[in-house]
Parts: sequence; C-alpha cells; structure tokens
Amino acid sequence: MVEMEDRLMRCFSAVFPALTAEQIRASSPEFLSAWDSLTAVTLAAVLDEEFGLQINPADLPDPATFEAVQNHIRTHRASS
Amino acid sequence: MNLIEALTIINQSAPDDAGTLEAFLACGFTPLHLQTFLAAHLRQRSPQRKVQVKTGLFGDLAGNIERLHGANSELLFVVIEWRDLDPRLGIRDLGGWRTEDLPDIVGTLKRALSRLEKALWRASASIPTYVCLPTLPLPPLFVTPTYQAGGYELQLRQSVASFAESVSRESSVRILNAQLLAELSPPSARLDVRSELTAGFPYRLPHASVIAELLATLAQNPTPKKGLITDLDDTLWAGILGEVGTEGVSWNLDQHSHVHGLYQQFLSSLASAGVLIAVASKNDRTLVEQVFERKDLLISKENVYPFEVHWGRKSESAGRILKTWNIGAEDVVFIDDSPMEVAEVKAVFPGMECIVFPTNDYQAIWDLTKRLRDLFGKSVISEEDAIRQQSIRSAEVLRESMDVSGGSLDEFLQNADAVVRFTFGKQPGDGRAFELINKTNQFNLNGKRLSDAAWMSYLSDPATFLMTVTYEDKYGPLGKIAALLGKLQGKLIRVDSWVMSCRAFSRRIEHQSLAQLFEKFDAEEICFDYHATPRNGPLQEFFVGLLGAPLPAASGLGFLKADFLEKCQSLHQRVEVVSG
Repeated sequence: MVEMEDRLMRCFSAVFPALTAEQIRASSPEFLSAWDSLTAVTLAAVLDEEFGLQINPADLPDPATFEAVQNHIRTHRASS
Repeated sequence: MNLIEALTIINQSAPDDAGTLEAFLACGFTPLHLQTFLAAHLRQRSPQRKVQVKTGLFGDLAGNIERLHGANSELLFVVIEWRDLDPRLGIRDLGGWRTEDLPDIVGTLKRALSRLEKALWRASASIPTYVCLPTLPLPPLFVTPTYQAGGYELQLRQSVASFAESVSRESSVRILNAQLLAELSPPSARLDVRSELTAGFPYRLPHASVIAELLATLAQNPTPKKGLITDLDDTLWAGILGEVGTEGVSWNLDQHSHVHGLYQQFLSSLASAGVLIAVASKNDRTLVEQVFERKDLLISKENVYPFEVHWGRKSESAGRILKTWNIGAEDVVFIDDSPMEVAEVKAVFPGMECIVFPTNDYQAIWDLTKRLRDLFGKSVISEEDAIRQQSIRSAEVLRESMDVSGGSLDEFLQNADAVVRFTFGKQPGDGRAFELINKTNQFNLNGKRLSDAAWMSYLSDPATFLMTVTYEDKYGPLGKIAALLGKLQGKLIRVDSWVMSCRAFSRRIEHQSLAQLFEKFDAEEICFDYHATPRNGPLQEFFVGLLGAPLPAASGLGFLKADFLEKCQSLHQRVEVVSG
C-alpha cells in the first residue's frame, strides 16, 4: 500500500511540480488553484502510464484530489 | 521516455544565468503531451538552457506558421496530420466520407499543402524548420477494403510526398524520416481514438515521445564523423588473405560472403560523400595491392588513403592515419573483426569510435551500416567533400617532397601558382561555411559552435559580414577552406568566428585573409574574439608569430594594420575578390 502511495505521489508531483507532498496530500488551496482541465488530462495520462488505468479525464473527480484518486485506484483494483 | 520522466526533466531547474531556448511547435491538434515531450528532449540536449516550447491555435496549422513571422523562436517544429489538410481526413469532424466527397478531399488537400508550402518557405527563411509528415493512419473512408490501396488514397500520399520533396530543397528545412519513425513507433500503435475525441490530442504517449525525440535529434544535427579506418581480412572481405590468396578472399552470394560486398559498397558510398577511408591491416602489402587490383572489388583503391599494411600494432597504424588526415581521434571510426585489435586501438585513442565488425551475423552487419550512416550522415554533399581525399594526398606528397628536397616554404609557395578567392556575401544556405565553423578544431578562433538558429540570426544582422576563402594551386583545388564572421564598426573590424581547414595549413592563407580584410574594409584595426581551447594550437601559433610574443592570458586580442603589415610574411598567391 505504501508503495502505491509513493507511486501516486510521484504522479502528482510530476503534474504539480511547484507543490510539496503535504500540499498535495491535504488538497491545499495551492493545489485547488493549480487544478484545471489541462492538469486533469495530464494527470489522467500519467496515471494511465504508471498504473495502466484507462481513465477518461472527464471521469476524474473535479478536482481530483490525492485521496479521491487513491480511492479510485483501490476500487479499480478490487473490481479487476 | 515516458510522460512522468518528461515532466520531471522539464521541471528541473536550470542555472540562474541560463539563457532560454525558445521553440515553436506548430500543429493543428491540442499539443498537450507532444509539447511536454518535445520540451523534455530539447532540454536533455541543451541542459544548460531553459526550454520554452510555444504553440498556436487549435485547428489552424498553416495559420500558426504564417503568424510566426518576426517571432523570437529559434526553432520551428511543424507536425502535420491528415486532418490539417482536410478535416474529413480526421475523426473529430463529421464532414462526410461519401464516395462523391473523395475527389473534393483530394482537391482540398492539395490546396492545403500549397498554402503550407508557402508558409514554410517564408518561415524557414528566418528560422530553421523541422517537419513531421502525417503519421496517423488514414480513416477508412475509401471504398476499397483496408488491405487494398485505392486510387484516392494513393493520390493523397503522392501529394504529401511531392510536397515533402519540394520543401526539403530548402536548406533550412529538414524532414523527419518516416521509415525510422515506423521502426520506432509501429503505425498500428499511434492513434489514440479516445484521447483524440475527448481532448483533441490524437497520439498515444509512446508515439508522441518518439516524434518528439526524433524532431529534437533532427534539430540537434550532430557533427558527422570525418574518417573511417577499416581492417581487411574477415572485414572488407571474407577470408584470411595470407592463407587463401588473392583470389581466395570473397564477397559474393556463392561463397556466403555477400555481406562483405555490402560493406564494401557502403564504404564506397561514404567515400563518394567525402568521408575519408583508410586501411589498417596486419597483412602482406603486395597481396593487398593485388586484391585492390581485382575488378570485382566494390571500393576503388583511389577511395582509400592511406594504406597502413604491415605487422605492427593497429594503434600505431591509426596514429599515422590520423596524422596524415590531420584530424582528431574523436572524428574517426575504427572497424575491425578482432575484439582484441579494437580494444587495443580504443585503449590508445579513447575518443575514437571503435566497432567490432560482426563477421558472421548478417542482421548485425545490416544494423552496422545504419549506425555508420548515422555517424557519417550529412544533409548535403559539398564540392569540398568531393575533393577532400585528393587534397590530402596532394598535401602528403608536398610534405614528402619538401622533406626530401629540403626546400623552403617560400620557395614552394612562389612556385605553387596559388589562387585564393575571397567571397563576401551572407548566404544562410552556405552549408560549407556553416559546416567549417561547426567542425573545425585546430585553426579555430574560439571553438564556438553555432546552431542553425544562431547562424541564421547572425547573418540576418545588417552589421555583420561573412568572408569565405577558396584555394587552388597547381597541385589541385582545396575548395572552400575557411570562413570568417565579423562586424564592421567604422575603421574597426570585430572578428567573432574564424576557422580554416587543416588541409590548408602552411600556405599563408591566414595571412592573406587578414590582409584582405584590412584592404576590403579599409580598416585600421582588427579585434578578435579569441579564446584558447585545448585544440586550437595552430591558431595560437599563428597569432604568436604575428605578435612576436606569447599570447595574453585573457581572451581577446587585436592588431593594428601597420603592425600586421610589418610582421606579415611574404605572400605569393594571386587574389580574387567576389562580392556576394
């Protein structure tokens, strides 16, 4: 589980290079203001690459917080 | 490179004083990850610079290029897809795939290509331009089954091919090779239908990464190697000459040695493109000479110089060849079937590219020819390429005759019937001058290299000039052997770049060049942006000779006209001056 969190944080950090892990994990105001449709597309592509998940960017929560994406991956893994 | 790696690379901080490499990516789709990959690959190739990749409007490829005029971009990348040429050739627009639409689609595509061609001509006049032709599969709009190529489809492909051939004639336009792209990114794994429909980005990530990597490589334009040293037995031919004799060595299908014929043919191709070819072989010289008399050998003995054939160490042979060619080890490839010989040469010349010839591995030999093409590949073949080996032979003959006769340089120059032609004109398409500046090491003012963009930018400055020098004497032409970039400021000339081929040493062409500069511009002083480099010893010696004193430790130096004329040695060439 820790490994999955690390990989997920790597994805978020690549898409939000200006934010710290704390800011990402806590869905801080900085995270919320950095979130837009372009980051949604980029995050979906990065998640696809890292976890093999075919996520439609439009299906991501808006905003797709660290916790929400983590739950999404858990649910996907449980169902597959 | 995957997307996370690309994002990590572009997010790395650059040095505070780093300049910015600004590129423009022209495409008709949402640039998204292609923009990211391109920035990352450019950054990898220019780690000391920040990279900014700008893009234009969605769905307006030609307009994006047309509006670029006057922009600050150093590089222009153009990525064309079928839907840029007619939206009906994509899947985002529902304009109709009826049979009666097909002639109109062909017509629309031709008009779009014509507009694109004009836009590229205009843009590439000021910005080096790199073009990727359509990479995605055409949609199934034709009446033929997908395994059959129909007439309309072939017309579309022919139109694109004609367009590409036409724009590739511009010296500042380079086209990405579709064959290599297909090897690295199979056509069936390129289109991402969901991404195209949901985000307007049509590429799967690996395909976008490969396009970006190849475009960045195309723009990087690595300096080609200059010479190749080859072994003979079980390399240039199959068999050990000393054991099987002159008629026993082979390179044909009957004796299963055809790959050696391919290698010979490839070396002959390299030689015809101006690459120096030499032989280093532990062999009997008489027998080798006999094989090179065989009519079926695919590389002529005239294409090979020098021959180092004896029983001494290969590294000694390589050293003598480098001396004869007067180039550095890092400009040369050494090929031998013996891993031990390759290791011995590599130990003495670590900078040399040393390759084991894969004698019995057909596929590996095929791969070797492709690798060699990349190492020696160049965009255009110049006149100088055609005469390079001949002039090296002449220089060697001259050196030997002067050594034997003990004649003075003055005596030789007086009798050489030399003609030096100076050309003043700024042609961005002067590939030879650009090549000299980026390849020459020994007689090089400061070792600075210029990118395509920097070259075009320098020449577009009204205050600058380019002087090129062509030389010929009774021993043969040397071609265009020197280039000098500078600025005129009243009676002062500032020289920013000055290079001369090592083939032209010892003819006082450098003295004549400065004399002509003073005369042409009626200047009183020349200042040089001089920097010592590990390899520009010959240039330093020239300056020391003129100054009559050691060079200053700091960079930069200059001469007054009166001082130069006092120190200048006697010049015996006939001079021609051409204003371009």
